[in-house]
Amino acid sequence: MSHLIFSTWGGEFIDNRDKPLEEWSETKFNLPQTYHGETLSKAFIGWDGVAIFHEDIDAVALATHYAAQYQVYSEACGRCAPGRWGGRILYDLLDKIARGEGSYADIEHLKEVSQTMMITSKCEIGKTVPKPILDLMEHYEEQFTTCIDQKVISKHYNGDLSYIAKVTAPCTDMCPAHVDIPAYIEGVRDMVFTESLQATRQTMPLAHTCGRVCPHPCENACRRANLDEPIAIMELKRLGADYETDHGLTWQHPYPPKAPRNDGKKVAIVGAGPAGLTAAYYLALEGIKVDIFEELPVNGGEVAVGVPEYRMPIDKYQKDIDFVLEMPTVTIYNNHKVTAEKLKELDATYDATLLSFGARLSKKVHAENENPKMHGYWGAISMLDKVNLWTKYGIGSSVSNELKGKTVVCVGGGFTSMDVVRCSVREGAKKVIMLYRRDEETIIRNTTYEEYHEAVEEGVEFIFYSAIEKIFDDGEKITKLLVNLFELVPDPNGGRAQLLKKEGADFEIECDYLIPAVSQAADLKILPEEWDIKLTSWGTLLTNGKDFMTSRPKLFAAGDCEYGPMTIVNAVGQAKRASSVISRYIYDGEVSLTDDEIMGDHLNKLKVYNKKEKITGWMPGLPRAVSEKLTVEERIDNSKEVNLGFTGEEAIAEAERCMRCYYISMVAI
Amino acid sequence: MSKHNSTGLGKPVTVTIDGKICQSTYGKTILQVARENGIYIPTMCYLTKTQPIASCRMCLVDVEGVDGAILSCQEKAVDGAVVTTQNLSLYKERQNIMKLYNVNHPLECGVCDQSGECDLQNKTLEFDVAIQNFTAREPHRPVENWGHVSYDPALCIMCERCVRVSMEITGDEALVLKFGGYSSTILNVKQEKNYSSLGEAAAVCPVGALVDARFKYTANAWELTKIPSSCSHCSGGCQLNYEVKKDTIYRVTNNAEFATLCGAGRYGYKFANTDVRKDREAFARAVDAVAHADTILLSATISNEEALILQKIKERQHLRLVCPEARGYQKFLNAYSKVSGKKLYGGTLEALSSSRGIIVFGSRINDDAPLVKYHITMASKWHRARVAYLHPVADSEIQNIITQSINYAVGSEEAVAALLADAFVSHDKLPKTLQVFFDQIDNDKLFNDAQIKQEAITLLKQSFHKKTGFSLVVGSDLYSHPRVENIAKLIALLEQNAGFNVIAIPPATNALGVAMICDLDDEAKAKSVGYNVKGDFTLSAMGDGDLDMPAMNQQEGTITNIEKRVVPMNVALSYGGYVLNDITNALGFDMEYTIDYTPLLPSSTGYKAERFDDLPDYYDVSGNAHRGYFLQKIFVPTVFELEAIATPHLFDKAVVYLCNSGDQFSPFTYQCEVLEPQTMLRGSQHFAQNYHLQEGQKVSFKIDGVLFERLFMIDASLEGFVAITSYSDMGLSAGLLSSYRFCGVELHTVTNEESRGNKK
Repeated sequence: MSHLIFSTWGGEFIDNRDKPLEEWSETKFNLPQTYHGETLSKAFIGWDGVAIFHEDIDAVALATHYAAQYQVYSEACGRCAPGRWGGRILYDLLDKIARGEGSYADIEHLKEVSQTMMITSKCEIGKTVPKPILDLMEHYEEQFTTCIDQKVISKHYNGDLSYIAKVTAPCTDMCPAHVDIPAYIEGVRDMVFTESLQATRQTMPLAHTCGRVCPHPCENACRRANLDEPIAIMELKRLGADYETDHGLTWQHPYPPKAPRNDGKKVAIVGAGPAGLTAAYYLALEGIKVDIFEELPVNGGEVAVGVPEYRMPIDKYQKDIDFVLEMPTVTIYNNHKVTAEKLKELDATYDATLLSFGARLSKKVHAENENPKMHGYWGAISMLDKVNLWTKYGIGSSVSNELKGKTVVCVGGGFTSMDVVRCSVREGAKKVIMLYRRDEETIIRNTTYEEYHEAVEEGVEFIFYSAIEKIFDDGEKITKLLVNLFELVPDPNGGRAQLLKKEGADFEIECDYLIPAVSQAADLKILPEEWDIKLTSWGTLLTNGKDFMTSRPKLFAAGDCEYGPMTIVNAVGQAKRASSVISRYIYDGEVSLTDDEIMGDHLNKLKVYNKKEKITGWMPGLPRAVSEKLTVEERIDNSKEVNLGFTGEEAIAEAERCMRCYYISMVAI
Repeated sequence: MSKHNSTGLGKPVTVTIDGKICQSTYGKTILQVARENGIYIPTMCYLTKTQPIASCRMCLVDVEGVDGAILSCQEKAVDGAVVTTQNLSLYKERQNIMKLYNVNHPLECGVCDQSGECDLQNKTLEFDVAIQNFTAREPHRPVENWGHVSYDPALCIMCERCVRVSMEITGDEALVLKFGGYSSTILNVKQEKNYSSLGEAAAVCPVGALVDARFKYTANAWELTKIPSSCSHCSGGCQLNYEVKKDTIYRVTNNAEFATLCGAGRYGYKFANTDVRKDREAFARAVDAVAHADTILLSATISNEEALILQKIKERQHLRLVCPEARGYQKFLNAYSKVSGKKLYGGTLEALSSSRGIIVFGSRINDDAPLVKYHITMASKWHRARVAYLHPVADSEIQNIITQSINYAVGSEEAVAALLADAFVSHDKLPKTLQVFFDQIDNDKLFNDAQIKQEAITLLKQSFHKKTGFSLVVGSDLYSHPRVENIAKLIALLEQNAGFNVIAIPPATNALGVAMICDLDDEAKAKSVGYNVKGDFTLSAMGDGDLDMPAMNQQEGTITNIEKRVVPMNVALSYGGYVLNDITNALGFDMEYTIDYTPLLPSSTGYKAERFDDLPDYYDVSGNAHRGYFLQKIFVPTVFELEAIATPHLFDKAVVYLCNSGDQFSPFTYQCEVLEPQTMLRGSQHFAQNYHLQEGQKVSFKIDGVLFERLFMIDASLEGFVAITSYSDMGLSAGLLSSYRFCGVELHTVTNEESRGNKK
């Protein structure tokens, strides 16, 4: 166990040097004191300070290496005068001191250059790099003066330590797929849309899709919110993808795909949804052979057959799908259901198998007389399948045959239920009601403001704090529902508020269709029983959430079948990580993470975004751009895409609001 | 029309800058408002004509109540902001930035081309940086030769202006940034193309990093006299300065902060008619020829004043005035005005650059009109404009700005115009006669005639959905079309009824001026005098006529450019011979100078009675051009009549498209040896197979009686059965070409012997 000896991280000041152990202060931060496994960290240095875990630290070398990392990573930046030249001088001067050739004038120059960088740099990386260096110069001053006075090389200058650095940003850290958001926004600002797209595709192959239907958790970690409103991060992602499509460009890869390895190694992927496609892409980018097995005749998983056309036009999603499937080492087998028997076969013939078959079983609402076989009872997944197969692919028949002029009740509160009610409106239902157990605020938090607001505009009736007690039928079909109302009663002891049934508030709704969209479960019949795969308590495949290997070697899982029904970006993030692990595992049989991934996990634990931070150097009060939407009349009876996307000037103005909050951090081990 | 405006652009705001209360509108940056109000904020990277770059950080200001310094070039002026642009701490930070800019910047000003007009030099002085405070290890970075310009990375301060110009303005996208902190540099990723538009990038370089490769080390900036003028190569009429020493042009520059200039304008300046003396005998013959001519043939590379002189001769002698280059255009404009109700098309380049939907129709725009293409690039980059390119031949060179390419059948322009009008006009707002017209047109036949799919027009309409700010740019494929008048009326409907910003690109330098000033005839009669065109007696500025005339950079005068602006040209180089005015004076006119005709230009077509010497020629601090004047709007009576759409003529011969490519526009650009001559016949692989042609084979064909001899080349970027050839090398014959630009020709293969025989 290492100890925290000194820290200026996050505004804390801890100095345990020369103190008896019992008087040592603790930190409130999750600092990476243990780097990985048995490896301990000696120091951690970053945008918000420096923490020392080992007495024998060489502060001069640490500062020098941190400045050097800024040099190394400045390909992410280096675009302003202070950052470019200032960073170089910072490094040159520190290195000079560390070599024992420095002077006090150099210290003064260092301070002067640091000051200019902190005030005038274009992005946060230039503004924050000097901070921990100045901290070290102040609190470990004697090490600097020793080097200068005695003209000696600093004690660990000649490299018996390793330094591992990573650049991140609050938004990137919060994004489950760790998309390099500032880079793709910069591409928009510079109007170099190809670079914007390439930046996105470093970790996110579904740029069209996640530029349209991502619930953008990143925007909750946008520092711009500390100043006025968060950047419209998600919508800016569309521009690069649209540019590629509109101008008929060749696929813009983040780097040229490596030549097919043709070394006999191959990976099987079960399910061509966002997770399966993502893993396939990044394996193929490395030249590794991938075979995808997809049960449906169409590709794309839930985003294809679940997310409606008006939210995610199939011609755009198809571009993302084609982008993956056209990789030379990817083969897809459609109409190919993987059974337990088949999975055993895959397991035996492939070097690794990734399960990414999603969660496509609609859960029940748990009401009295609930009979899924009763006419009028229609699971959300199967209802949306039918809608989408018809509107997007012309397969099957129109759902308006069933819903036109009918009353539809949906129970839900998440994205799927929103899709159900808004599709029902478009299919001509007379009346559409959404029953939700909690309140308006929660439904917005679980989906998005836009989604809820647009559903209300389209005439969906929301009944909050409600749940079905009993379903009535006439023996052939559902006729009505008995609904209870609830209220949130605060716990007088300060605990969690409780939902309690409101007595005497019950009412009935006559309806033709009840569409439960409360949640979905993974269909686990695919798992051979004798494998005895470990599951989570909520019935999904268990992994450690870091390397995504299941309890069975060679068998990996990512996306909804691992996590439970979650977002596209979550599936992408998991699958990207899984593909990275698999790409090494199939050669060395080891489950390993890269330094970049380890650092990423550390930073995520440490938390990169600080809601309370005061922003300086930016003009507050610039409104967030909002893209134009089709009016209710224009959209209510068709599948036209509702969101028209940003105009050019909106996109550029929005991109200019981005503060480029890149941070660099480094661990010494 | 949608009024979506989520960020409140255009709302009035009041900001206080250095105590001065400034009224402006939301969307403008603090720097823009400051400049509008005459307040100086220092900048290094800022370039008015591009989006803010924000690399130099010099423009920092303080805003009351806001922590930290604010970047004034990028941050918008918010209502109520109180801004300070000058104080000690801002000065210190700016000074520190200048110290950083001077890290290792080579002190070779004595041999640097930029010396004397270098922003780094100026700001170093302004911020009192007397010594180089810091140094860093300098990587070795050799000078790179990029054809028209050379790049010295050691001098580069990475302001990124050149990259922005390449991306946002010229659209060549040749220059990109290579990030890498201290070793950041600019890369030319399209060196093999040798774009002359890189001159535009070099023009905005604040230091000596990107310089004109031919000008390099030939003269100091301060030794050159700047002669302000207007470019005479195309109808853009762009602002430029001929920079002259000892009666020699050393280079051409422009006001690159605000304006643009294409490669032809910048590098094509060696076209003067030099070493001319007054040849009295030739002059006498010329006077006699004009006095007895039945026809004057003219090219449209001519000033407004010269055009007026020729018109006056016509009026006096009742002869014919024939200008094949401008005649079709004049017909187009006349027919157009019958529907639009105005003498001229209503569109402007500024509106084009802020369009969200653009249709380009009947012009190979990248070759025909670089200035227009630049404005389309701006719209594409700044406004994500949908750009539909309607032309029989696709152009891969502009893939980066086009979102839809519709390749219609050669000759079917009238059908396409009708389809466009039908798709975009509001039928209920049409006059009754035209409602009937559109009710009766047979769309299926039009699609069939044009050989385009119905879906193409549907997609076009869809992609313009909910957008405002549509532009339509049309070009000379239409003016020379046999059905030009009906086409013009259909196009005019898009302006008159559908609110399009329509620009009809004048087909040659002063085609608009000639069309507005001269009463042109269709066909020449026997005894002709040609002016820069081959006639029985030829007046020529190319030095090969019967009497020499001055080239456009050797005379004072005006031209009427695409912006409908009358812009002045000045004398850059001396000329020792006779001018047109001398001939007319000998015939009994009495004008001392050609420019005495400037105030006499016809008011009936919008010209003002302004003297040449009173014409302004400058840009103000916010970038507004004050160059000459705009033609006044002249209203004309409308006649809403359309003829039935004719079935296009079928081409059964090889089709050659007349198109001056690259930097070529006319016989004058052909004389400038630095502009690459284009004298091949370029065709697709298909074309080669169909007409049994080999790469490098010599062929000949005739168009309007002019014989073309061409080497055939296979151009992999072309598809289909149309070959392209330039005509800028046709000298005095070029101005005689009057046919529709797609010509059906008999191709003859030429053996080497025949070829030699022709040359004797």
